[in-house]
Amino acid sequence: MSTLRIPRLRSTPLEARPVISESSGVRRLLVGASLAFLLLFLFLPLLAVFASALGKGVSAYLATFSQPDTRAAIRLTLVATAWAVPLNLGFGLAAAWSVAKFHFPGKSLLVTLIDLPLAISPVVSGLVYILVYGLHGWLGSWLAGHGVKVIFATPGIVMVTVFVTVPYVARELIPLMQAQGTEDEEAALTLGAGGWQTFFRVTLPSVRWALLYGVTLCTARAMGEFGAVSVVSGHIRGRTNTMALQVEILYNEYQHVGAFTVASLLAGLALVSLAVKTYIEWRGTHQPEVGS
Amino acid sequence: MSITVDRISKTFGDFKALDDISLEVPANQLVALLGPSGSGKTTLLRILAGLDRPDPGSGAIRFQEEDVVGRRVQDRRVGFVFQHYALFRHMTVFENVAFGLRVRPRSHRPSPADIRDRVHRLLRLVQLDGLADRNPAQLSGGQRQRVALARALAVRPRVLLLDEPFGALDAQVRKQLRSWLRELHREIKVTSVFVTHDQDEALEVADQVVVMNAGRIEQVGTPDAVFHGPATEFVMNFLGEVNVFEGTCDGEQVSLASLCLEAGGTDPLHGPAAARIFIRPHELDLAMTPPPGGSLPGRVEAVNSAGPAVRLVLRVEEGVQVVAGVSQDRFRELNIRCGDQVHLIPRRWRVFPAREREETVVWNPV
Repeated sequence: MSTLRIPRLRSTPLEARPVISESSGVRRLLVGASLAFLLLFLFLPLLAVFASALGKGVSAYLATFSQPDTRAAIRLTLVATAWAVPLNLGFGLAAAWSVAKFHFPGKSLLVTLIDLPLAISPVVSGLVYILVYGLHGWLGSWLAGHGVKVIFATPGIVMVTVFVTVPYVARELIPLMQAQGTEDEEAALTLGAGGWQTFFRVTLPSVRWALLYGVTLCTARAMGEFGAVSVVSGHIRGRTNTMALQVEILYNEYQHVGAFTVASLLAGLALVSLAVKTYIEWRGTHQPEVGS
Repeated sequence: MSITVDRISKTFGDFKALDDISLEVPANQLVALLGPSGSGKTTLLRILAGLDRPDPGSGAIRFQEEDVVGRRVQDRRVGFVFQHYALFRHMTVFENVAFGLRVRPRSHRPSPADIRDRVHRLLRLVQLDGLADRNPAQLSGGQRQRVALARALAVRPRVLLLDEPFGALDAQVRKQLRSWLRELHREIKVTSVFVTHDQDEALEVADQVVVMNAGRIEQVGTPDAVFHGPATEFVMNFLGEVNVFEGTCDGEQVSLASLCLEAGGTDPLHGPAAARIFIRPHELDLAMTPPPGGSLPGRVEAVNSAGPAVRLVLRVEEGVQVVAGVSQDRFRELNIRCGDQVHLIPRRWRVFPAREREETVVWNPV
């Protein structure tokens, strides 16, 4: 998210219309096509989720949440998210700080590595963890010898969730902190502030909206992750199933109401994240963080 | 509080930003570090503040008697004003100015009432008292820089350091702020060093001008002294537009075309040798007929009379272009037109021995 804004013209006089402007027919066609596409591919499926979830009434909907397996899945998702978000918050801040404020060898490698989880298929991420931490993996047998179970257990699920959500906070912060430079911090130092005072009073507040934005995206992704988690989970009911996995299991067992109920919860959380994200974007542009 | 810079060097990789610099800034003076980009002026300022460290093994920086090289930025008590203001965007004007007081350890922190008093006094000083509750984004560039100055002064700095303070402002605002800074300094009298690449700014505002080039100091002096008595070709070139002629020096005199100019001045030359003659545009007079004392004939190629003086571009016989500046009255009196053949008469000039051209970057503001 860049908050550097380019001043926009307030109005375009008729004679000054850009030459690339389309005729009204073409414009209507384009807008119509986009809306139809969104309706068909996004809105209808989303509506279907809630419709199916509530298809047998509210009591059936609520009954799903009293199932112990479903509750366990929700709890596990929350646990994974509760680990992934703070860890990535800390990592994102540290990485963005070092990339934006210092010069060091391997800087561009670090920036590239941060993007890796976005480029790589989640299934591959999961498989890599099995290769390293699985029973026959590099560290797996040693860990098993010490009574630590990573794969097919909560630690593995937390770890892959952390892995797939690594980019979200760091990528929001790096461009912003690079654009802001180090002058504010230097100003704070000349005014007598210590290192921590500078961080909490100057650096952190100046990136707060980007940070919140990154955290929101990170949360949404952590809760919704399916592929990587599916590989390391082992699908043990009531123990290693997250919400996303629980949806699949219920669906495969023809428990449509249950499947869609859990799915609606996930979709609802996604919609809330979206609302929060939009609000933060709006705040971000109405209180520019990078001065003109 | 005087500042002494004693043999300071700074190297970035292979680049020598400061080459064994020594400088004395007398207490309560306003000193300009003037030079082209890359001359080391900002590096020197940042080293004074403690934002950069000099090369290990180089000399001392003393505030009065105290060597501050080992001191952290926070402990030096300097006020620093940045070119791009560096105001804290998420704080109001009031909070920006109060920042330096609020971050003090509790035992040294003024009471909230004292802070309020002091901030409002400073905002009155920079003439922004009504804007205490604004955000920096709601201020103009000139206002922002005044807030930055108030913020720097809030901690009662021992020295005030300004890094191209007006560099990001419009020409008109810049001029206003210049004379305002001059006035303000007369009032608060804190030892101040400001960096600029604008010679007009340095000459107008400063008590002393330090001309820097390629990591070294070329000349230190009052604006008058450096402008009228430039010590080197570089200073001559940098302090304003100048015409350069190649001539021959024979003892006390330099010959240029049919002219015989006295080589006297600060740098007498001995024996016949190649010399360079520097003449500023306003030091050239024009005549339509050859004057008795000899002259430099030339043809008028362009005339620009929009301005306080009329600027003429002429081509002299050797194919060299020369710029002359004459007053509007003189211009009308002579009735000069493009294409006219005229005679140039130098009224003042400076002669430097023609050496191998030094590898200097001369920055020519348009």
